[in-house]
Amino acid sequence: MAPFFWLPGILSLLLVLHWEHGAGSPTPDKATCTTDHPCPSNLMTQIKNQLEQLNSTANTLFVLYYTAQGEPFPSEVDKLCGGHDLTNFPPFHAEGTEKDKLVELYRIIAYFNISLGNIMEDQKTLNPNDQNLHSKLSSTADTVRGLLNNVLCHLCNEYNMGHVDMSFGPDISGNDIFHKKKLGCQCLFNYKQVIAELTQAF
Amino acid sequence: MLTLWTRVVQAAFIFLTTESIGVLLDPCGHISPESPVVQLGSNFTAVCVLKEKLPPEKPKNLNCIVNEEKNMMCQWDPGRKTYLETNYTLKSEWATEKFADCKAQRDTPNSCTLDYSPVYFVNIEVWVEAENALGNITSDHINFDPIDKVKPNPPHNLSVRSSEELSSILKLAWINPSIKSFLRLKYSIQYRTKDASTWSQIPPEDTSSTRSSFTVQDLKPFTEYVFRIRCMKEDGKGFWSDWSEEASGITYEARPSKEPSFWYKIDPSHTHGYRPVKLIWKTLPPFEANGKILDYEVTLTRWKSHFQNYRVNDTKLTVNLTNDRYIATLTARNLVGRSDASVLTIPACDFRAAHPVMDLKAFPKDNKLWVEWTAPTESVNKYILEWCVLSDKSPCIPDWQQEDGTVHLTYLRGNLMESKCYLITVTPVYADGPGSPESVRAYLKQAAPSKGPTVRTKKVGKNEAVLEWDQLPVDVQNGFIRNYTILYKTAFGNETAVNVDSSHTEYTLSSLTSDTLYMVRMAAYTDEGGMYGPDFTFTTPKFAQGEIEAIVVPVCLAFLLTTLLGVLFCFNKRDLIKKHIWPNVPDPSKSHIAQWSPHTPLRHNFNSKDQMYSDGNFTDVSVVEIEVNDKKPFPEDLKSMDLFKKEKNSTEGHSSGIGGSSCMSSSRPSISSGDENESGQNTLSTVQYSTVVHSGYRHQVPPVQVFSRSESTQPLLDSEERPEDLQLVDNVDSGDGVLPRQQYFKQNCSQHETSQDISHFERPKQVSSVNEEDFVRLKQQQISDHISQSCGSEQMKMFQEISTAAVFGPGTEGEVERFETVEMEAAIDEGMPKSYLPQTVRQGGYVPQ
Repeated sequence: MAPFFWLPGILSLLLVLHWEHGAGSPTPDKATCTTDHPCPSNLMTQIKNQLEQLNSTANTLFVLYYTAQGEPFPSEVDKLCGGHDLTNFPPFHAEGTEKDKLVELYRIIAYFNISLGNIMEDQKTLNPNDQNLHSKLSSTADTVRGLLNNVLCHLCNEYNMGHVDMSFGPDISGNDIFHKKKLGCQCLFNYKQVIAELTQAF
Repeated sequence: MLTLWTRVVQAAFIFLTTESIGVLLDPCGHISPESPVVQLGSNFTAVCVLKEKLPPEKPKNLNCIVNEEKNMMCQWDPGRKTYLETNYTLKSEWATEKFADCKAQRDTPNSCTLDYSPVYFVNIEVWVEAENALGNITSDHINFDPIDKVKPNPPHNLSVRSSEELSSILKLAWINPSIKSFLRLKYSIQYRTKDASTWSQIPPEDTSSTRSSFTVQDLKPFTEYVFRIRCMKEDGKGFWSDWSEEASGITYEARPSKEPSFWYKIDPSHTHGYRPVKLIWKTLPPFEANGKILDYEVTLTRWKSHFQNYRVNDTKLTVNLTNDRYIATLTARNLVGRSDASVLTIPACDFRAAHPVMDLKAFPKDNKLWVEWTAPTESVNKYILEWCVLSDKSPCIPDWQQEDGTVHLTYLRGNLMESKCYLITVTPVYADGPGSPESVRAYLKQAAPSKGPTVRTKKVGKNEAVLEWDQLPVDVQNGFIRNYTILYKTAFGNETAVNVDSSHTEYTLSSLTSDTLYMVRMAAYTDEGGMYGPDFTFTTPKFAQGEIEAIVVPVCLAFLLTTLLGVLFCFNKRDLIKKHIWPNVPDPSKSHIAQWSPHTPLRHNFNSKDQMYSDGNFTDVSVVEIEVNDKKPFPEDLKSMDLFKKEKNSTEGHSSGIGGSSCMSSSRPSISSGDENESGQNTLSTVQYSTVVHSGYRHQVPPVQVFSRSESTQPLLDSEERPEDLQLVDNVDSGDGVLPRQQYFKQNCSQHETSQDISHFERPKQVSSVNEEDFVRLKQQQISDHISQSCGSEQMKMFQEISTAAVFGPGTEGEVERFETVEMEAAIDEGMPKSYLPQTVRQGGYVPQ
């Protein structure tokens, strides 16, 4: 499933790229807004449940991650992971309309999806034997892709939006191992906070 | 031609392998008998099984189950068999994304398992495509949220904890599956006691929300319980998880909930005014003990003031009590507290039990032995049920149990065995002591007897036999003996069966055949079957008892009576018998002849009997015992006539014979020879007689046939030589065709007259004298009568024997005896002088020398 689960990721990436190139507000594209079959009627409930699911596992994933990275991360987690971070998630405005929240949600989840993909790739190299961490990262990534599917389906069916403009995240390629670990830890730390906020918002 | 037929067969195979009606057919078939070449004219059978190849049917009933954190498995009904390689592919996709296909395995074309866990809260559309060479088809699509098909992992780390505050609760705790973090769950909790096999269920409404602990209430104290738990999505969508691993816990102890069963036994042997009383009680079952029983406390109260306390760890206590009345109480104690007291009244020694239970009965039901009774009219505190196995080999070791006073139906809570006879006793216990016990016998389960009865005969008669047997020992009965069956038969006869009531121990077989061997066997039957005992045989006697005695005894008695009568008769008539059997033979030396002879001085006086025997000198005299035998008595006149006639003949014959022999007379060879037998000659050669004295006969004057041994060698008198006399005699004898040859008489007519029985000569007879003139007259009359009368007359037989050989045939003894009897009577009546006359010498006679 994993290769095919990258398909929505690619689609989201295109949306993100489109958003980046659009450099501004999302623009629905009716011409591309087509789905293979109708979205379920309880789509918002599913989105809420998915946010809860991600929120319930975010802290576990964060702890599992910095633990797996070894020292000094477990002992200096706040300093290393909770300080100034370079992984700024897209903004979210909880007071916005459902459509705006869904668009901002889409941007945040799409951004995290890419970051999570990078983390997974790095951890395959940095901690190839930590199956528990890999499993949790993979499970979170699957859930994130499912959330993206639901949000996109809802935007398409309810708001006729075929794509959403978004910006890239920080380029962490080429950094040293510690820096990769630190960026990943900062990302997951921020994700934990963001997903809690999103869960509350929906 | 052979080749042609072979080609035809091959063509048939080819035909069978061709496509028919649009269905692909594989090469098939075979012929029987198997052969590559079929002979011309032979028969064979060609068999071909056509396997139709079909396109796949539309898969139905597609459904999926999501195993938490593992995989998703979907199943469907593939439809009919296609006989072609058919691929089933499970396809799935989101609204915006397609997933990889899942291809069903060849051996499981009805299911496929995705090796990843689907994403929850995202609807996924799933369908199945079936495809083979003849086509493809797609099932209906199903669209669902995987969370609604989830089967969570079971809760784990289930733990059970008791509460010291409450002995009826246990606290459960567990760890929920990880899905619980974003999914609400409900639970199913089951429990059971450790030894039970069925589970009890906690009410579902009490466990319908997500939780990680639960308190189970209303449990029994000090009881070990086993728990298990499972979970599923709270709204009921999806599947129940598997059961968790079982966990057990024991509730805390509580005070014993019931008093122990309490009973006593009194040893009947009294010693010095004391009686040993054995108090016994039962351990409380766990559900009543509510904890570990530490000890029992027994209190004996006498007259409400005197207490005796005992703490016992055992379940019995033996005390020596006086003959007074006692109240015994018993309590059981555990860690938490003590039970209520069980009170028992031990009555005084003179107490008399009464008021037993009524209508006591016992019966098996549901593999238990139930006891039922009717309660007495008096108030009963409790009942004591005792039972033991009845056996001839081992003593009755009772077990017992206690029931409340309200119970009248219960079952024996012991380890009962089948086919054993139980003696069950129910004793009501009143406030003042035990009542009278009642007993009944019962079996938990009956069976056929292990052995059959051994039958034997008690008495065997001519036509009946009394069979008897012993009651079967209770150890082999295996049930209540309902009846006996006796089978008996003869060696070749049909078997006869007789059913006998079980209360009997003997039976009489009647209508048997005498002197016959019977084989008997006997079976005892319970409700469950019977068993035959060993075979037994007996033979009926030929005669009934006493039958022989009834025949023999009367016969013997009759014989004895007859013998006695005969003896008495003989005793009464002994003289007459003696006369005939041993007639007195006169002593020739004392005969009148001797007295009469002018040349011989009178030596004896024949008139005196004493004189006859006073002189015992018989050295020169031979005595011939004369017996007259005849069958029938003659009239007196005829007898006398006959006697005289015979005397005439005999006298002459004998005289001539004797004279011939003793005097070597040459004139009488014709008389003594011819038909004469040897005995006569022997007599002549060995005994010399000079005189023969013939005893008289009755009142007649017998012809004197007294022969006296003559020592003289002088020739006979001229009378012997007289031819006329001799001729006369010869004529008389020749008239009968028999010559006179007997020179003396003998007793038995059956014997030959020539018998030389010497005994006849040993008995002296008194010879009486007779007048010579009378003798001559009678002699002449006898001769004339003898000529005129038939000598073959029966009545004259004996006399004819004497005189002639022709009438010397055998006669019957009876006739002889009758005749002799009459003769003896005559001799007694007339006296010796009348019966035995001295031989007279006629004219021409001789005179003894």
